[in-house]
Amino acid sequence: MQTIPIPHVDPLPLPGPVWLFTALLLAVFTLHVAAMNSALGGGLWALWNYLRGRHGKHAYSRRLANELAQMLPSFLAFTITLGVAALLFVQVLFGNFLYTSSILIGALWLMVIPLVIVAYYGYYYFFYTAEKGKGISGCILSISVCILLGIAFIFVNNMTLMMRPDRWLEMYRAHPNGWNLNLGDASVVPRYLHIVNGSLVLFSAILAHLGMRKMKADAAYGRWVAQRAALVFAICTGLQFLFGMWLLLAIPREVAMALLRDPLTGAVFGLALISVIAAMLLILLGSLAERPGPMVHAGFGLSLLTLFLMVCLRHLLRLEYLRPYANLNALNIHPQTGVIALFLVLFVGGLATVGYMLRLVARSARPSSDVAVRR
Amino acid sequence: MLIALVAITHVFVSHFAVGGGFFLVVTERMARRRGDAELLGYCKRHSKFFALLTLVYGAITGVGIWFTIGLVSPEATSTLIHTFVWGWAIEWVFFFVEITAAILYARSWESLQAREHMIIGWIYFVAAWLSLVIINGILTFMLTPGTWPQNHDFWAGFFNPTYFPSLVARTAICLMLAGIFGYVTLPGAEGARDKVARWAALWMIAGTVILLPSLWWYFACIPRFSQLYLGGAMTGVRHAVRGGIGFTALALVLAIVCGLWKPRWMRPPVVTVMLICGLGAIGAGEYLREYLRKPWAVNSVVYANDIRSAEVEELQHKGVGATANFLLTADRTSAAYGENLFHLQCGSCHAAGGYRGMARRVDGWDADFAADILQHIHVLRGTMPPYAGNEEDRKALGAYLASLNPPWHLQITDSNRMEMGEKVFNSRCGHCHTVNGSMRPLRGAFEKQTPAQVQEAFPALAMMSSDMPAFNAPDDQAQALAFYISHEANKPLAHAPSPQEMPTGTTHSELRIQSKELR
Repeated sequence: MQTIPIPHVDPLPLPGPVWLFTALLLAVFTLHVAAMNSALGGGLWALWNYLRGRHGKHAYSRRLANELAQMLPSFLAFTITLGVAALLFVQVLFGNFLYTSSILIGALWLMVIPLVIVAYYGYYYFFYTAEKGKGISGCILSISVCILLGIAFIFVNNMTLMMRPDRWLEMYRAHPNGWNLNLGDASVVPRYLHIVNGSLVLFSAILAHLGMRKMKADAAYGRWVAQRAALVFAICTGLQFLFGMWLLLAIPREVAMALLRDPLTGAVFGLALISVIAAMLLILLGSLAERPGPMVHAGFGLSLLTLFLMVCLRHLLRLEYLRPYANLNALNIHPQTGVIALFLVLFVGGLATVGYMLRLVARSARPSSDVAVRR
Repeated sequence: MLIALVAITHVFVSHFAVGGGFFLVVTERMARRRGDAELLGYCKRHSKFFALLTLVYGAITGVGIWFTIGLVSPEATSTLIHTFVWGWAIEWVFFFVEITAAILYARSWESLQAREHMIIGWIYFVAAWLSLVIINGILTFMLTPGTWPQNHDFWAGFFNPTYFPSLVARTAICLMLAGIFGYVTLPGAEGARDKVARWAALWMIAGTVILLPSLWWYFACIPRFSQLYLGGAMTGVRHAVRGGIGFTALALVLAIVCGLWKPRWMRPPVVTVMLICGLGAIGAGEYLREYLRKPWAVNSVVYANDIRSAEVEELQHKGVGATANFLLTADRTSAAYGENLFHLQCGSCHAAGGYRGMARRVDGWDADFAADILQHIHVLRGTMPPYAGNEEDRKALGAYLASLNPPWHLQITDSNRMEMGEKVFNSRCGHCHTVNGSMRPLRGAFEKQTPAQVQEAFPALAMMSSDMPAFNAPDDQAQALAFYISHEANKPLAHAPSPQEMPTGTTHSELRIQSKELR
């Protein structure tokens, strides 16, 4: 029988409790996925509306594409910024697995960096040229979106491969130079579809929420945005159930069975189901209602909750996959208490600073009459 | 190589990200105080360029460094993560604030009041500089971990002996790059152009003035073995020092002449040369920073080939085959096993050909000589980690190294004896010795000796020093080598060679002590 090669756990102790690293990982990863879904889902939305808006009769589509063009670079900026934190915390907990899978697909893994740079500059090109509506804006945007779809595929390969040490040695011997993909794993394709479609689901919820805000300035346009977003949200949520089922069937039977038997996983899964169904109903019905605001906002909130629950499920799935090879509870822990406290203080301070800056900008963006009335 | 490419361009842009932020907000303040619309217009244009370069290229290449170090040195990366994860988490907080502030600063020129806009500019700069304050502790730790190896204390590793000189030097580099990049968006109108050219030159000059003493301070604080690399025997280090000084001096001269004195000369070709100088100086600095740390990735903890010092003894005892997870073959006598060992133990720094290629370094070696040299690899020039494998591994790797070149069949005649002797010297002796140079010169040992006398000494070399490999070259090569050494050692010199103290690498007894400490 072939031995399964697992690089040893770092001999240095973990500088903080596992629960704290896990909590931080789940929190920043949820935010990272929200930003990533906005960058990818927003890119797909922008592309569709830009192409549609090229015809004179679809002025709203054109307007929406222009508005999205102003947001896409920031979405990507926060995807990267929040992704850095997620990468940091996942390395502490699962470094020996992540490094190995990254090395095995090293050639493509490294390609992520130049690809993101190209996609990012593409988004900036669209940012500056979308409003003119001519030239190669649409073409550049399509390239950026395609690159992001490719990057998502590389990430899915790495994140699934890090959980499959049983595949490593064979893969290394086939291509020791890093030209590998985890395509032999049946869960890669459904997981990829789940993630790409998920980005449309979440960004549609965000867009429905934004549509409500736009109704204040232009009721017809705001409602149009919210209704389109609600429709896409509902359709993609339906698809998400199909991809989710496919994913559940594609993961190894023993992992799936263990997850189904686990009460915590069951509870999280159940809550996520209820939450997403409620979100779908609220956004769909809200967008048709006389006063859509409260329902759509609640649906948007539930969509974010669903995202967090799905991130928790993803973590539980990883733990189950790695159960034969890793035990986080057995790690040697030596908390750096003083530094942790400093981090938490600075974290709160950093959030407050960001909040302060956003408040400054939001205040200046308010219509002057509004400011005058308040004064 | 990969790390170098990503790191140099990242360091170039990320230091500009700190200094450029300071430059922007100070320039904006000056423009607003003076009511200078031209200067304010320059700030707006420069902030757009600044955001496009730092937010995209700077930020993503930073992630790129994460990606590459994880691939090339996972053990060293893991050591740093387990030691400084909270430091990195703090740096991330500043990074998050910095990115948000940069986006808002570049986009809110029209919408925000002057005071509010400058507040965001100051927040950007403070957050950016604080992220440097944090990462500087982790970077300097890799060369000078201070008392961390003994006590594993976060702050002992963070505020290590080179922390403060490095922080001052990096801050100075930020100011210099703010000045250099300040020229990229130079206004076209003559008055505004002259004003900005002079102003940016002041930043460049101020940075250089601070940089010089801080580098002197830094080099005084680095470990003894690193200081020895600066002695002049290492060709790469010599070029890097000369390059660093040359690039910085040229940029400084251009800043003074075309910035301060004749601003109208500050045209795109001059700006391009200044940017190249900036990149060249950063490249030289990064090369030195990496080289001075050899043979370590993290001093005293992980070697440059990603093997922990605490594991070397076990590897030497049990062999790589018994401990490695990823082997292409289980047959330890096969050529594939030797190649596999090469990738595992040498691949972090060397390719077979190409970058730091081994083929040209081992040209003329046979399998026995290569296997023998591996025993002494850490004393060659002090830059290599000790070989971490058993005898079986050494033989396999030696055979692989020897297979990189066809065996030598030298046609040695009276007319080419000197040339062939030099070739053999470079192959067999030149990695550790010169005859008349400063690196372990042989002149003292072989002066006034005939070629025959020199050749007689060869069989006894391994007995003279435990660090010498056995001499096993064929007779004709030995004769040519002896001829060359005798000729060179007896030729008249204006000055006798002055031997330079060489780093001796980590000895086995030191390793044992480290192993105990780290366990």
